[in-house]
Amino acid sequence: MRSGPSPSPPALRTAVGGGRGAGMLLRAALLLLVLLLPTLPVWAGQLDRAALERYFPAPLVVGEMDDRLPVWPILKQQAGAYEVFAYAFESVDLAPIPGFGGTPPDLLIALAPDGTFRDVKVIAHHEPVFLDGLGSEPLFAFVEQYAGLSARQAIRVGRPNARAAGAAPQTTVDGISMATASTRVINQSILASALAVARVKLGFGAVNVGLKVEARADLYAPLTLPDLLARGWVKRLTVTNAAAAAAFKGTGAEDRAEGPPDAVRTDLLVAYLNVPAIGRNLLGRAGYDALMRELGPGNHAVMVISAGPEEAPENPIGDRFVLGAVPERLAVSQGGLIVNARDMAVERREAGRAEGLPPGPWTILRIDQAAGFDPSEPWVLAETIVRERGQILSEKIARTFMVETKLPADLFTRIHPEDGPGWTDPWRARAPELGLIGLMLAVLVPVLGRQRGLVADRRLFARFRLGFLALTLGFVGWYAQAQLSIVTLVGLVRAATVTHDLTFLLYDPPSLVLWVFALSALVAWGRGTFCGWLCPFGAMQECVALLARPLHIRQVVVPAGLDRALRQLKYVLLFGILGAAAAGSPLADTMSEVEPFKTAITLYFVRSWPFVAYAAGLLVLNLFIYKGFCRYLCPLGAGLALTGRVRLLDWIPRRAECGSPCQLCKVRCRYGAIAPSGRVDYAECFQCMDCVTIIRDPAQCVPQVVARKRARRVAPRPVTVG
Amino acid sequence: MSAPGRFAPARRRILVGAAGLAGLGGIAAFCASAATRGLTLRTRAGLAFGTTVALTAAGSEASIVEAALADGFAAMRAVESAASLFRVDSALARLNRDGALEAPDPHLLALLRFALTLADKTDGAFDPTVQPLWPVWAGAAARGERPGAEALRAALAQVGWRRVQIGPDRIVLEPGTALTLNALIQGYAADQVMAALRMRGIADAFVDTGEFGASGTHPDGTPWRLGLADPRDPATVAAVIAPFTGFAATSGDYNMCFSDDRADHHIFDPTTGRSPRALSSVTVTAPTGLLADGLSTACMVLGRARGAHLVAAHPGCAVRFTGKL
Repeated sequence: MRSGPSPSPPALRTAVGGGRGAGMLLRAALLLLVLLLPTLPVWAGQLDRAALERYFPAPLVVGEMDDRLPVWPILKQQAGAYEVFAYAFESVDLAPIPGFGGTPPDLLIALAPDGTFRDVKVIAHHEPVFLDGLGSEPLFAFVEQYAGLSARQAIRVGRPNARAAGAAPQTTVDGISMATASTRVINQSILASALAVARVKLGFGAVNVGLKVEARADLYAPLTLPDLLARGWVKRLTVTNAAAAAAFKGTGAEDRAEGPPDAVRTDLLVAYLNVPAIGRNLLGRAGYDALMRELGPGNHAVMVISAGPEEAPENPIGDRFVLGAVPERLAVSQGGLIVNARDMAVERREAGRAEGLPPGPWTILRIDQAAGFDPSEPWVLAETIVRERGQILSEKIARTFMVETKLPADLFTRIHPEDGPGWTDPWRARAPELGLIGLMLAVLVPVLGRQRGLVADRRLFARFRLGFLALTLGFVGWYAQAQLSIVTLVGLVRAATVTHDLTFLLYDPPSLVLWVFALSALVAWGRGTFCGWLCPFGAMQECVALLARPLHIRQVVVPAGLDRALRQLKYVLLFGILGAAAAGSPLADTMSEVEPFKTAITLYFVRSWPFVAYAAGLLVLNLFIYKGFCRYLCPLGAGLALTGRVRLLDWIPRRAECGSPCQLCKVRCRYGAIAPSGRVDYAECFQCMDCVTIIRDPAQCVPQVVARKRARRVAPRPVTVG
Repeated sequence: MSAPGRFAPARRRILVGAAGLAGLGGIAAFCASAATRGLTLRTRAGLAFGTTVALTAAGSEASIVEAALADGFAAMRAVESAASLFRVDSALARLNRDGALEAPDPHLLALLRFALTLADKTDGAFDPTVQPLWPVWAGAAARGERPGAEALRAALAQVGWRRVQIGPDRIVLEPGTALTLNALIQGYAADQVMAALRMRGIADAFVDTGEFGASGTHPDGTPWRLGLADPRDPATVAAVIAPFTGFAATSGDYNMCFSDDRADHHIFDPTTGRSPRALSSVTVTAPTGLLADGLSTACMVLGRARGAHLVAAHPGCAVRFTGKL
């Protein structure tokens, strides 16, 4: 690079008006344009009757739209009358959850009256990763997976091929790699809007809608029946002659007892089997595993064993017990409501059963997940004893005996469909990545902060920097997909102006962590910490730039005036994009493509050729004009540079000789961030530390070298720096 | 009395809303023949009163027919928000919850006045206050039982049409009393829809609000026909009313049963708290849907002889009984 100011070609000079002034003017013009554009008030569905009739053609009939919810009944004509085939609605009307770019996806959902998804179709979406990237086909294929699944269950987005790898097909859909955040938002949109409709239309709006309580499979300990009884994990319901007589007192049917008052009429053991420490100990391992397989995820099994006199007419699982039926004289209830529990008829298949259990007859009752049963809350098993009074016109008198089971809550995981696939999930799943990113930041901060440490060691520090950038590119960028992007700022603007919902940030934990760090570093040091160290595309450019020397490529010298003008370009882009976003214009998404991040980092260059050519072109440009994209075009960098004005520290040490006469740092600065006067332009500084290394190295810093030479002639004197 | 709570009942199938000569034929066939007379036939279906509804109207201009059908649906929504128990925020639901209602909705007043008059005429065989029986039966059915005599006695203590005080500004219920107008609301809605269509100049229409109404003829010139399905085999048409104009309503034991043998269902005898056992269905034709609906329910409770006597006292009405099968 040449050191002095150099004249620009006159044509260019007039075209850009000589830098800063023209840039400001352009910015003001753009802002004005933005303010004049109308703002979209709310997100609303866009389909009318004719459009719905295309999605649900004859013989289906699109019914009259509901007057309270934006839901269209889709009817089917049968024998002259109509039946409800599905309820159709647009997710954006009921659950406008902003997507990764800040705009909620719009999905057409058809929910059958029994709560299963008939179909899900994408009406509109602005997910950056699919637009021009992966293409919309993977998204269309993704939502097709919902057909046949039930909205009564919490559905999770698994890894790609999760279903093939053995994830429960009723509750898992295969994710799309590189689109984790987008698919989660779409999953949430589908579930939340479906539940909103189900609550009003299908009546499964009870508290426990879609509640999924699962026994933790990892908590097994061998326990005997007496152990289980002692812990209260298996309960005993014993009715003696005396107890029965007391219950039937005054009914005329109290004297049926044979034998002494303390003789047992019925004696039942009651156990919730899903908990391995209960079920496996009662059924044996093979029996337990077989039962859980048959039961299916989310459903519950309750075992009742008779330990009393088998022949007693009161025994609810005696001769008159009907296999496979809802038992007549046993009932499971919770919170005062009867829970539908049906005998699984396991007996007929001779399932295993552990030693040490009473030899009497037994039943395993199945409770469907849809019943909303919550085994982590107290529940009751009730036994009904029926006696008859009178000889000719006999009247049946029933009395109920109950036992309550209350299992410790920590035996279970509870998942609400609303919060199950929510934002906590990715934080848990990506904990290892977050850990490594945290470690990187924990190393970076002291290295950059202690200027007399590693930074002062020119060769060692160069190696450290190269290693760190390799991690930024390979791990932060390609692996963890944590490339910060202008798209997030677009989302923030849309959240501020339209959606008022910032939760989309929570779905991408590594990026959020980096955002928080980048903004904190911004306050202390300026934009350079992110741009110079943590931006994967920046790191990629720096790595590519290493090739310039072996390729004998000489840097192109941009005339200073032109350089200043070009620097303003990124601000124009920034305000154009944010303005379009604030105006609710989809132009914001298009303009965001000026960033090659999606092509180079998110999609590993697997994208249609114009995008690849653009990204590759920027890398080639970088060989000639070092980090040209960052310095002239990057709207994110512009945004950080602007907010970087709040920076607290002027952390680059300066000497009186800096700028006059010494120009070493200015010449060495590959970003042109040091003025001939020696002043540092922190808005353009990438914190590469080159100048700090120079100034901390007495063998490089010219004033220090000169001073030392003088000192040989005069008296030695300590050098003060900073 | 029918008194569904928030449960969505199975689609009624006894009255097959067979508009026109084709009986069970498709709407497309009608449209083809209607076009020959220069009339446009349109059908709009939807959901109301916890069931499916369908309005069919013919007119010379498609836009007017469409507007009329939209008005018809608006009329049904207005009736629903006044008196449907399927809506937790309807005026009737609020009355039941609070025990009193100021400035009641005119639809609610009209329905309630008719209900209390009919209750008076039938000595309480028809009674809009049987609603407290519903949770007793529904709760017992959920446990696979029938309610005990004690529970029924307790509920019946709250039942009685004289426990309702009605004035133009205020309706007051005695403590524990709750109303259902589900026995009347669909017939009343048919009246309201028909009136809305007439306001738009529609002369030929066939209305299915759960009960049925027809005016004019099918646009191909043939009379409207109403197929009555077999209560035990909804796919077959047991009888046909042709020509069909005016209104028809059916009460039956097939809809919302508490027991598999259909002995216990959603119509209660207000004196016993149990379902009447003599009939499986009653169809009444009448000059208004409200009257047809009220009489059909009263006849289920009254039985053949007294029911026929009641219907005979109303000019322009006819009744058809189907015994318990």
